[in-house]
Amino acid sequence: MSLITPELKARFDAVVARYPKGQEQSAVIPLLHAMQELGHGRLTQEHQQAVADFLNVPMSKVHEVTTFYTMYSLKPRGRQHLSLCRTLPCALCGSENVASAVRAKLGVAPGEVTGDGEFSYEEVECLNYCHLGPVLQVGDTVYGDLTPEKARTLIDELAKKGGR
Amino acid sequence: MESTPLYLTRNFKNPAAVTFDGYVASGGYVALKKALGLAPQEIIDLVKAGNLRGRGGAGFPAAVKWGFLGKTDGPKYLCVNADEGEPGTVKDGPLMEFDPHQMIEGIAIACFALGIKWCYIYIRGEFYKAHRAVEKAVNEAYAKGVLGPKVLGSDFRLDVALHPGAGAYICGEETGLLSSLEGKKGFPKLKPPFPAIKGLYGAPTIVNNVETLACVPHIINLGAEAWNALGSEKNGGTKLYNVCGHVLRPGYYELRHSVTLRELIYDVCGGMKPGRTLKGVVPGGSSSPILLPSEIDVRMDFDSLGKAGSMLGSAGVIVMDDRTSIVRALDNLLHFYNHESCGQCTPCREGTHWLYQISQRIVNGQGKPADVDRMLEICGNMVGNTICVLADAAALPTTSYINKYRAEFDAYVSGGRRLGILGEVEEMAVAHA
Repeated sequence: MSLITPELKARFDAVVARYPKGQEQSAVIPLLHAMQELGHGRLTQEHQQAVADFLNVPMSKVHEVTTFYTMYSLKPRGRQHLSLCRTLPCALCGSENVASAVRAKLGVAPGEVTGDGEFSYEEVECLNYCHLGPVLQVGDTVYGDLTPEKARTLIDELAKKGGR
Repeated sequence: MESTPLYLTRNFKNPAAVTFDGYVASGGYVALKKALGLAPQEIIDLVKAGNLRGRGGAGFPAAVKWGFLGKTDGPKYLCVNADEGEPGTVKDGPLMEFDPHQMIEGIAIACFALGIKWCYIYIRGEFYKAHRAVEKAVNEAYAKGVLGPKVLGSDFRLDVALHPGAGAYICGEETGLLSSLEGKKGFPKLKPPFPAIKGLYGAPTIVNNVETLACVPHIINLGAEAWNALGSEKNGGTKLYNVCGHVLRPGYYELRHSVTLRELIYDVCGGMKPGRTLKGVVPGGSSSPILLPSEIDVRMDFDSLGKAGSMLGSAGVIVMDDRTSIVRALDNLLHFYNHESCGQCTPCREGTHWLYQISQRIVNGQGKPADVDRMLEICGNMVGNTICVLADAAALPTTSYINKYRAEFDAYVSGGRRLGILGEVEEMAVAHA
């Protein structure tokens, strides 16, 4: 069964229409974002193949993109994905201590998912909220001025709320 | 310090400005209307006389870049570089989130001046809020006739589309951005030909930073002379600076180009945190060489910082206090450059990797005395030997950190005391001299 429902096709067609005829490959990145959302944060082989087929580009061109850019995940993610900034401006303000606290609280290393599938955790490069460092991005929300204590409280609140 | 009238950030505390009506009420789209009544060359001349310098980092005169645009009967493109990623920088994100129409007005004026009918906004993938704000503003601009077949009722046609990135610092490099926009991995392209001649899909293309375009309406409104007077010589206008690290009041501030680094740290940001003193400051994003406390009486413009041996870059100021371990600060940045090197050119792919490996060895107490010079030697083989400047962006700060704080590196590798901490990491604090 095709992953591309008529609804999704209409959405994809609108994306492809942004680019000139013959340049459909340009839509690879936005379509993969949509697919990853559909896959709850994970791009499976089928998702990638569906994008390749839809745009009529070889699968290798899609792989090239999914393996180059850090926002794509080929592994399952938690219902909530946490990205802690590790780069210098945040580090100067104590992000290493926040990182230790988050790892201990969740019981995972960067790149792992908690046992209950609620959280996946990553330490990422600069998110450009340097004035608020240390920062943690959860979905489209950025939490700033974190301390180990604030990070632990935040995780408790997020867990209570639950993702998806 | 002279006070600064606000232009770029004038709507940051006016939430209504994200809507078309709110923006118009704040005086928006007056410049576009005026520009549509000018000859395209008159607009280019204004921007030239206003000394608008490219605010993505290079500081290249915007009007000169525009002047390189190839003549063609086929399509030409404007690509907006909204892929903010330089560590220490906070400006394009808020410019899009809080005043998206300002950027759209700048885009429309630039495209009219250059005869461009198609514009892509390449926006960093992680910038969800900015993306939504710009998407909404673009849709509204279409509905209100600011974009589309008849811009403000004129015969000028302009289409604007958004394109998200997916997490790659290299796509902030203008030809890496074009590769990414073409649906490929973000490999920068060999220049020449420059994008102005052969850019997106092989067509003449101008790539401009968000802030550069946001300045354009103000130059039209104020006139070149008044805009110029806000800045310093050959650096027109006001500028968005972000200050982070160990100052009392970190944040982004719109100021005259003529502000000095000392004023920025001590007057604007309230100085260092209590009981601390300044050890070093990075003036223009992590890729710019570090300055010593004795070097901060420098104007925050492209030319003055260049003469001081650093660069204004993206105007992301990273302040480090006396407790900071420079060795560990550099190690943190080398992780960044190693991670973000796209891998296309050997000197950068291997160089950033070697630098990080050696740095890790030093930080972990396994460094050898020859390691510090070895790092300098590697840097020497990186600079100028690659397709884009990411190699230089890693090598130049590395060289400056080592040369200006050599004793700290030597202490690490000779088994001496390790000085300083990074952030508040406690196990390092005991080693503080």
